[in-house]
Amino acid sequence: MRACVCIATLLLLASGCQKVEFSHRAEYHELEGFAQEFVDQTLNKYFGTVSDMVVWDRLKLNSHLASGTVEQAIKDDHGTHLVLKLNEPHQEISPGTEILWADGALFGKPSAWIAEWNAETHTAILQTALEVLPEEGSAVIVGPGQVLAQGRHLYAEHCQHCHGVTGDGAGPTAEYLNPLPRDYRRGIYKFTLTQASERASRQDLSHIIEVGIPGTYMPSFKLLSRDEMESVVEYVLWLSMRGEVEYQLIRTLSTDYSKKAVAERVESGLEEKQSGEEDYETFESIRDEFYELANDPEEMQVEFLDNVDLMVSRWESAQQPAAQILPKEKWVGNDPASVERGRKLYLSVDLNCFACHGEAGFGDGPQTYAITKDLETGKDNAKPGLYDSWGHPNPPRDLHTGIYRGGRRPIDLYARVHAGIKGTPMPAFGSKLSDQEIWDLVNFIYSVPFENPRAGDGLKQAENGEPVQNVASTPSP
Amino acid sequence: MKWFWCIFFMVWPIVAVVLCLIAPSQGWWFYSESVNPLGRRIDHLFYVILWITTIVFIGTQVGLGYALFRGAQKTDAGDASKAWHSHGRHDLEVAWSIIPAIILLFIALYQLDVWAEYRVTDAFPRDKMEGVLKRLHQVRTPKDSLALAEVSGRQFEWRIRYPGFDANGNLLPLMPDPQPTDLYAVNELRLPSGNPVMINLRSLDVQHSFFLPDLRVKQDAVPGLVIPVWFATDSPGSHQLLCAELCGWGHYKMNARFISESEEDFLKFLRELQQAQNFDGVTQASPP
Repeated sequence: MRACVCIATLLLLASGCQKVEFSHRAEYHELEGFAQEFVDQTLNKYFGTVSDMVVWDRLKLNSHLASGTVEQAIKDDHGTHLVLKLNEPHQEISPGTEILWADGALFGKPSAWIAEWNAETHTAILQTALEVLPEEGSAVIVGPGQVLAQGRHLYAEHCQHCHGVTGDGAGPTAEYLNPLPRDYRRGIYKFTLTQASERASRQDLSHIIEVGIPGTYMPSFKLLSRDEMESVVEYVLWLSMRGEVEYQLIRTLSTDYSKKAVAERVESGLEEKQSGEEDYETFESIRDEFYELANDPEEMQVEFLDNVDLMVSRWESAQQPAAQILPKEKWVGNDPASVERGRKLYLSVDLNCFACHGEAGFGDGPQTYAITKDLETGKDNAKPGLYDSWGHPNPPRDLHTGIYRGGRRPIDLYARVHAGIKGTPMPAFGSKLSDQEIWDLVNFIYSVPFENPRAGDGLKQAENGEPVQNVASTPSP
Repeated sequence: MKWFWCIFFMVWPIVAVVLCLIAPSQGWWFYSESVNPLGRRIDHLFYVILWITTIVFIGTQVGLGYALFRGAQKTDAGDASKAWHSHGRHDLEVAWSIIPAIILLFIALYQLDVWAEYRVTDAFPRDKMEGVLKRLHQVRTPKDSLALAEVSGRQFEWRIRYPGFDANGNLLPLMPDPQPTDLYAVNELRLPSGNPVMINLRSLDVQHSFFLPDLRVKQDAVPGLVIPVWFATDSPGSHQLLCAELCGWGHYKMNARFISESEEDFLKFLRELQQAQNFDGVTQASPP
């Protein structure tokens, strides 16, 4: 009996610890109660909760397994057969998947469910025969919201304990990690192959999930299938958007409706009252004014939706080919002259690389001892050193380690120099430098780990073999 | 009541033996046959020990049953005979010290070959491994490492370093220190199949264990040590690579893939890896 009570208590405690819900930003708690309520309602309406997600079409995410049109609908003794024309690429469809009617005669009618799916002919046999067949060419959505649902599942399994339920980078294991896991809620991602002004593309996110970030706790998730990877990326984008909507909303509201602002307004209202004015602000009048603005479809809603559209358009533009960094000139490695030119650029006062990374590239430049400006507010930081957009210490990379967090391919290093590292003090040099100059810098960076062997490094190096014509391609006897 | 206890103590060993007899054919708790020739010899050792312990187990259980049932049959209330006290009998003590000692000594000697071949560097199938490297056209001196890859355990993934190619496109030997030509991969180890191949096992942080269940290869990765491990696969295939040492909260994440493929495919893979690693973003489509 006692054991039962103990187990029950433990289970209760454990379930209490595991309460899964989206947490708020710290700034949320500085808002006045009615403004907090508005933030909650808005987020709930458009994003739902962890266990009850809302798929908001305005975000333009690939949240469905597939979408397309009905090419042919046949009804016979075996049931209803639907031949679908799906937009490529789409995720794998399995029996039991929902088909939602997006327009046509069946729009708004209950969904159909797939009993059998032929992936080659794109033919679905439905679980229950339809009374009315959909017209040819009417739009359907297959597996509505299922990509996000699967993404949430995988995120909870693999990512959540570091990156947090909300994507705030504050999961239960985060406190043991250095560097800290990424906080998605500003939509900033460091390691991208997109232009300096652009956000991360889907490929950037899935590449990092696939190969991990060496030198940090982000491991590689190479064994995820293509569909699983897509789903996780989509869910991470969804979390980013949710976080950013919350961030924007709180920022807009905090100017007029933070606890501090309301208190000041009430106080000046009291002064006005004492000086005999009739039209003065009280807490109630501010609250009523807020409700009026919040409920007026022409006011706060418009501003809110404009902000969302702007955010979505920025994400969309990062997916376009134009957002990608594409060097025009080819990279040529193993070129001592290029390394020498790169070294000169690195040490030039114009580029000032050594101010952070140090003259010898140990990441110990004078800036690491100086009081620097905060990237967000532009004010002096309280302590010396460099800090990222999230306010965490961000030491410049020691180029001698041979560890490249964003990847070791030439294009990765090129992108780091060309577009900088987003959310960090690493600036973009793309407008300053020609392709060749960036490749010189890249070659110099490649050479640093090998230029000055340190104690214990060993001296052994491989020697080139005799030049043989296409040896490796000749089949062995 | 005494019959209940007699049957109770006899049912469990019978159930255990029957379950163990059925298990392999049903695939319960049993791996499929090892794809590694050495793994099959390790399996053979396992079965030898299993048979020895099975015989001992059945023997002791039969002895127990005999004692139980014989005791239970004595129903005579006035029987004054005493139990036989074997404690302190010198010849018996000698017997059951020497017999197990002989069995243990037999196992110890019997497994020496397998152990030596698996763990003692001098007993490694050096010629066969060199044969593979020769067929891969590796530019090597006899002093160079036999390893084809350096596998490093790291919280919580497997990072792999392959030797790269020289300026003339010849495969280089794996050096103890990273080289500018080295090729890197993560969570997917690829090696040629058909012949013994060797890796150098390292750890970048804490203790991990390199575990290829299908090959019956398990070796701890110890920080500060470079441990050579060799294995072979009969034919090309994909196998699980796990961490078998609780290395931290993300231990379960250290799940990777081991792919064995033909020597030509392995070289092709290395060349593709080199191309991917040297990708500079200049695609065919953009003007030169």
